[in-house]
Amino acid sequence: MEKQKILYESGNELAAYAAKQINYHVMGYYPITPSTQIAENLDSMRAEGLCDTVLIAAEGEHSAAGICYGASAAGGRVFNATSANGLLYALEQFPVQSGTRFPMVMNVACRTVSGPLCIKGDHSDIMYLLNAGWIILFAYTPQMVYDFNILGLKLAEKVNLPVAIAFDGFFTSHQKQKCEVFEEDTVVQTFIGEKHAAYSLLNLEEPITIGSYMNEPDVMNNRYQLHLAMDTARNILPSLFAEYAALSGRAYAPIEGYKQEDAEVILVLLGSAFNTAKEAVDLLREEDIKAGAVTLTALRPFPKTLINYFPSAKIIIVCDRQDSYGAEGGNLSIEVRSAIYRKTRAHVLTRIYGLGGKDFFVEDIIAMVKDALLPRAAVFAYYGITEGSDGEKQPTYFAPLTEEEQSPGITVCNYDGEAKKMIVTGGKLADTTAMPIRIAPGHGACPGCGIPVNLNLLLKGIEGNVVVLFQTGCGMIITTGYPKTAFRIPYIHNLFQNGAATLSGVEAVYNELKRRGEYPEGDITFLMISGDGGMDIGMGSAIGTALRSQHVILFEYDNGGYMNTGYQLSYSTPLGARSSTSHLGKAQYGKTFFHKDTPEIMAATHIPYVATVAESNPADFIKKAAKAAAYSRDFGTAYIKALSACPLNWSDKPNLERNVIAAAVDCCYFPLYEVEQGITTLNYDPSVKNKKIPVTDWLAMMGRTKHLAKAEYASIAAEIQAEVDRRFERLKARANHPLL
Amino acid sequence: MSLNFTLPITKESGYFEIRLESIGGLGANLCGKMLGELGALYLKLNALSFSSYGSEKRGSPVKSHIRWCSPDKFLRLCSPVVKPDMLGIFHEALLKNYPLLADATEHTCIVLHTNLSSENAAKTYHISRGTLFCIPALEIAMAEKSRINMVMLGALTAALGFVPLEMAEQLCKNTVGKKYPQLIEANLNGLHRGYEHIRKQAPFICSPDAAAVNSDINTDNKPPFTWGYKNAPIGGINPRIGSTVSNDLSASREGYIPLFIKDRCINCGLCDSACPDFVFQFLPGTYKDRNCMVNMGPDYTHCKGCLRCVEVCPTNALVTALEKDYPKKPYDQPNKDLLTSQFSYTEHGADASITGESYLTEKQVGGGVL
Repeated sequence: MEKQKILYESGNELAAYAAKQINYHVMGYYPITPSTQIAENLDSMRAEGLCDTVLIAAEGEHSAAGICYGASAAGGRVFNATSANGLLYALEQFPVQSGTRFPMVMNVACRTVSGPLCIKGDHSDIMYLLNAGWIILFAYTPQMVYDFNILGLKLAEKVNLPVAIAFDGFFTSHQKQKCEVFEEDTVVQTFIGEKHAAYSLLNLEEPITIGSYMNEPDVMNNRYQLHLAMDTARNILPSLFAEYAALSGRAYAPIEGYKQEDAEVILVLLGSAFNTAKEAVDLLREEDIKAGAVTLTALRPFPKTLINYFPSAKIIIVCDRQDSYGAEGGNLSIEVRSAIYRKTRAHVLTRIYGLGGKDFFVEDIIAMVKDALLPRAAVFAYYGITEGSDGEKQPTYFAPLTEEEQSPGITVCNYDGEAKKMIVTGGKLADTTAMPIRIAPGHGACPGCGIPVNLNLLLKGIEGNVVVLFQTGCGMIITTGYPKTAFRIPYIHNLFQNGAATLSGVEAVYNELKRRGEYPEGDITFLMISGDGGMDIGMGSAIGTALRSQHVILFEYDNGGYMNTGYQLSYSTPLGARSSTSHLGKAQYGKTFFHKDTPEIMAATHIPYVATVAESNPADFIKKAAKAAAYSRDFGTAYIKALSACPLNWSDKPNLERNVIAAAVDCCYFPLYEVEQGITTLNYDPSVKNKKIPVTDWLAMMGRTKHLAKAEYASIAAEIQAEVDRRFERLKARANHPLL
Repeated sequence: MSLNFTLPITKESGYFEIRLESIGGLGANLCGKMLGELGALYLKLNALSFSSYGSEKRGSPVKSHIRWCSPDKFLRLCSPVVKPDMLGIFHEALLKNYPLLADATEHTCIVLHTNLSSENAAKTYHISRGTLFCIPALEIAMAEKSRINMVMLGALTAALGFVPLEMAEQLCKNTVGKKYPQLIEANLNGLHRGYEHIRKQAPFICSPDAAAVNSDINTDNKPPFTWGYKNAPIGGINPRIGSTVSNDLSASREGYIPLFIKDRCINCGLCDSACPDFVFQFLPGTYKDRNCMVNMGPDYTHCKGCLRCVEVCPTNALVTALEKDYPKKPYDQPNKDLLTSQFSYTEHGADASITGESYLTEKQVGGGVL
């Protein structure tokens, strides 16, 4: 046995630790709860120089999977981590990875699939992977996450298939436990062995074509090869477990049972609930109920010997932490039933439990078993649902806002056809306090958060009916925590790669209903709200909407990071800024590329109106909001971007945020301008007002970037200054040109 | 350091379980993690720990769960701690609103952060079972420039009875000291004072005579309204517009409020433009003989005390004040759009960051680490 040391770590930390020891070439990833810590921890170790892995934060999981595919086809050792809808977003890529037979390892910290959005754990994501041609190992303790990450890679490379290591989100990903790791990284590397890629795109001596165009019967044969690889994996898995046991002292098997030999009632469960079931089994046996429990650590290839684990079973209760709706069972039930079909007389029951991370106590299992022992126990049931109670009558807090109430005539737009300009009158800040508040107070934003401030200024400028769509992000999380909502106007959420498209659909049906006379007269402004994260993963959808010039406003609050998941870098994070995926350390200085210029990208779609706004110039903000609304109603898509303060992750004082925003404007990092029907106007030039400051003055105001003002980071600061100046000069040149 | 001790197991399950009850911002998360490490790496037990998943934001109730068992027993439970052997309460106000003590038994050791004596605390909070230790953790933390969590860590380890001070110090040095060497002195002092304070105290045995358990808890007969599968609108649809208005966010404030001095107000609306919480109530009125929107004052129920408004106010009509100096706030205005005042507010914490993790798990605040 090799020398090991004791750590106190979580499943996510151990996945990252194993990856560090393996020293993967590339990790392509996109942060998603609860798997995010894996990339965060690996980045932190890389920053300290403990591994060389190149971490690429993709702009979405689909791209992350693409990065992994390319890197593995090029002969690299490749790593990924994801969860829930991230897994589904990338799903299309997984059969490509397996079908062209490139091994890699992906951790899946299992979480429930939206919608209604929920971040907690269940198995509804991993079951989508069953048909993707991936080996799926399920770890039910943090220790197993570590061990499976090591032996999983070896298995992947032996059979040329990608491997997913699944484990329970939060229960296993976040709980810390005492565990053992190999003291020397070389032990891990020797066990896995040298990488010998079966094929590599970068082998120039033997050039190959990867991804042929293929028809029948070749496709059949290709799929059969994949099937055979799974067979091989099934055959070698036990010996691989044995080899690993000799190294680590920890023995695993594709199926594990607990007191199942003589058990008359057997629970079959996946993940952390298996351990809970062992406790329940012990207690049930004290009451003379012969209970047992069985779990699978390999879902693909599905072990052939499952039936051997039920020699005395009269009742088998399959506990599913997801449902295959309409199938009278989750996927585990379906698979267990087919695996034991006609091989046992046991009665098989299905219980759906623990969805959305609902806690599953020993007492729950005991109650479930006792219920199953009753005569005429239901074959299929949800365990742990509640009817609801009408109780005390709930008050109506607000009346719906009428179009009249929302149209006080404070900010009015008139189009000057000759000048091709929208002329705004009114919009005085003091007067706009009369605008009804469309988002109620009581939301959960952090003290001093910029998002509600920006939404308020935006909505102050938009008169008339408004329908809003929020892409996933802080703005959405803080306002719609069930069973409450802050919205007093119609609201819809969609996942952040698809908000603009969704709102396009809303707008299209509105106009078509009106054209058919199926909707009352009146006007509606359609408004999408997104963070900068949503404009990363949702860029394609936003550009598509803009190219079609749908009649909507796309509003981006840019706080320069993925803040609601703990501040991972976004493409709008400043160069050199630290984040939880761009650590500072001796081998790394923070984010490695420049902030994204989204307004320029949107301007290139030739939509009628593009503008930037800042809360430090509220009058300008309100007028641009009014213009955007007018353009979206009468011309096409309008895009507005606000720089939005995040005291929590910028690490600065909540009360001073307006000054920080003002400094970003004054250093020209965030210039205020608009592009109206292709013509650029610079609304504020700090040098003209004698307010121009160096970019480091702004960076020094925030904890995330204050290191950039230090001498040791002078070269990075100079790069930022040069880029900010270059962009600003180009902007000025356009503003000065009558055609641009 | 090797230690001869017996884990005081009283439950059939064979686990020794600790639960910390706190609100975000007091560092219970880190304290829980350190207690887990204490079990696994110092006491050589099997150990597990986790915090309530979600935010650890100022004001939101948070829990930390720690489970220990003997090293030869497999630690199989990953569910939250229901019947704690030790209960650490970081924020005594929680006792008024949540049934924290419902599952306490005569074997439960309670460490409560309060300035009250054990006897008075047991009376005030109707603590009828268990052994009680009390500690003025904030007072000690302020004196030592440490944080509540380090003082509580000292108190909890002392109350365990079998953890020597040197071991707790070593834990503190290894976890906090490595990352923040400049803070180790202050944090060690906090830990030390917490430890000594408990060691010098006679354990108070609570008895049922004190009062009925938790009679302060709302036991109104009317069942609360809840949505379930029979009465909730399908698809998670929520027709209750603006219902977050019934959240009371006062707990997010850190001791300061914006104080409104109405005669100085010029009704410019800048405060309204800077407030993330939509608290300012403007109504049609007159100012200097002119009809205009007039600032009637803030609705403090939703004010999180960020003081942005104070910063932007051009006339000092909004100034920073200590909340404790204003038990009744002048110009506290209820939300002007509400159709009814016949409802009760729910205490609520800011919950923006739903999974803030590594970058935030440990955050240096003042002289301590959260």
